[in-house]
Amino acid sequence: MTTVHILLIDDEPAEHVILRRLMTKVQSFATQLHYADTIEAAIDFIASGAPISMVLVDNRLPPHGDFRETVPLLRQKGFIGPVGVISGSLDDAYFQSFQEYGVDFRLDKAELDPTAIEFLLKEYLVKS
Amino acid sequence: MLAKLVVWSERGNIDVGALLDTYRRYDFQKDLEKALNRVDFFRVFHMLALGAGFDHFGVLQLGQEAEPAVLTTRLVLHDLPPGLTEEYDRRYRFSDCLLLKSLHASTVPSVWSAACEEVSPSKAGTDFLAQIGFDLVACVPVHSLVGTRYAVLYFGDNDDIDRSSHVELCYNSVTAFDYFYRFVLATRAGMGLTARETEILRWISHGKTASEIALIVSVSEHTINSHTATILKKLDVVNRTQMVAKAIREQIIQ
Repeated sequence: MTTVHILLIDDEPAEHVILRRLMTKVQSFATQLHYADTIEAAIDFIASGAPISMVLVDNRLPPHGDFRETVPLLRQKGFIGPVGVISGSLDDAYFQSFQEYGVDFRLDKAELDPTAIEFLLKEYLVKS
Repeated sequence: MLAKLVVWSERGNIDVGALLDTYRRYDFQKDLEKALNRVDFFRVFHMLALGAGFDHFGVLQLGQEAEPAVLTTRLVLHDLPPGLTEEYDRRYRFSDCLLLKSLHASTVPSVWSAACEEVSPSKAGTDFLAQIGFDLVACVPVHSLVGTRYAVLYFGDNDDIDRSSHVELCYNSVTAFDYFYRFVLATRAGMGLTARETEILRWISHGKTASEIALIVSVSEHTINSHTATILKKLDVVNRTQMVAKAIREQIIQ
């Protein structure tokens, strides 16, 4: 089974612990979760040649604003894999324009469970 | 509050979220009007399933009754455990399943329970329940604007679903499917290309690969492939060469 490398970018380390725990329940993919607490660290990590299959990025990463500032930075550095924005709330109107900023999907943090992760991996990483 | 008008663009697309307020969507209105892609609708149906006490959902395309049916390919969106439908198809013929036959026989919503087996095994449809490994399946028949038939299935291990929850689940499923169809499934031939699709088409005509276009327009390769599939459908062509040829012929690109 090929290992899927997922990069979580979140300034809250507890989210890394939670997601790592969830990943252990994913059955259909061998996953390896990587973590960066800033967008700059994430860019450096990707630039180092790490084989990242998918990026999950927290909506707000200080000192930047929301995903409209951070995700284009990832894209400008040449990352063409799927990017999902995770947030405690998707209510703000600007979330409706997520596709314009290079984001593939958005997910409420409360909705991140093993079923959702399995769906995302199958949807974006399995060639149909 | 003034009712909004249903707005149709020149190309025949319905304007996002512009349904009349007379279409009652109750608690789901906000989520439905925001939903744009498959992940958003995964969230909606997943939420519906969990809210009604089920574990999983599947949106099933019925197809023609006489056609052989394979569960894996008939499910256009689902959150069933990985490999389950493939294993089902290896072992069983979905075409023979009483549940599928019942969907072709009537559009009344149905609930299939393992508890019914003792009452009337021949009619309870427990063949499918036992085969797929759940104790309860609720089927909500739905149809698209153009009349193609689908069903939203909910899978769980409860004994039953109470009347009010069932009625609510049926109503919400019909509503959610309508949005899912219009915004995800209905990319019909002959409909116009969006500005982004035209841009991608132009790059394809310049010989760029999906990954190169992804870099140029700052989106993922997955998004480019998704747009390309939509363009193929809209132009009613089967490959990129035919796509570019038709686009030039139709003067979509120079």
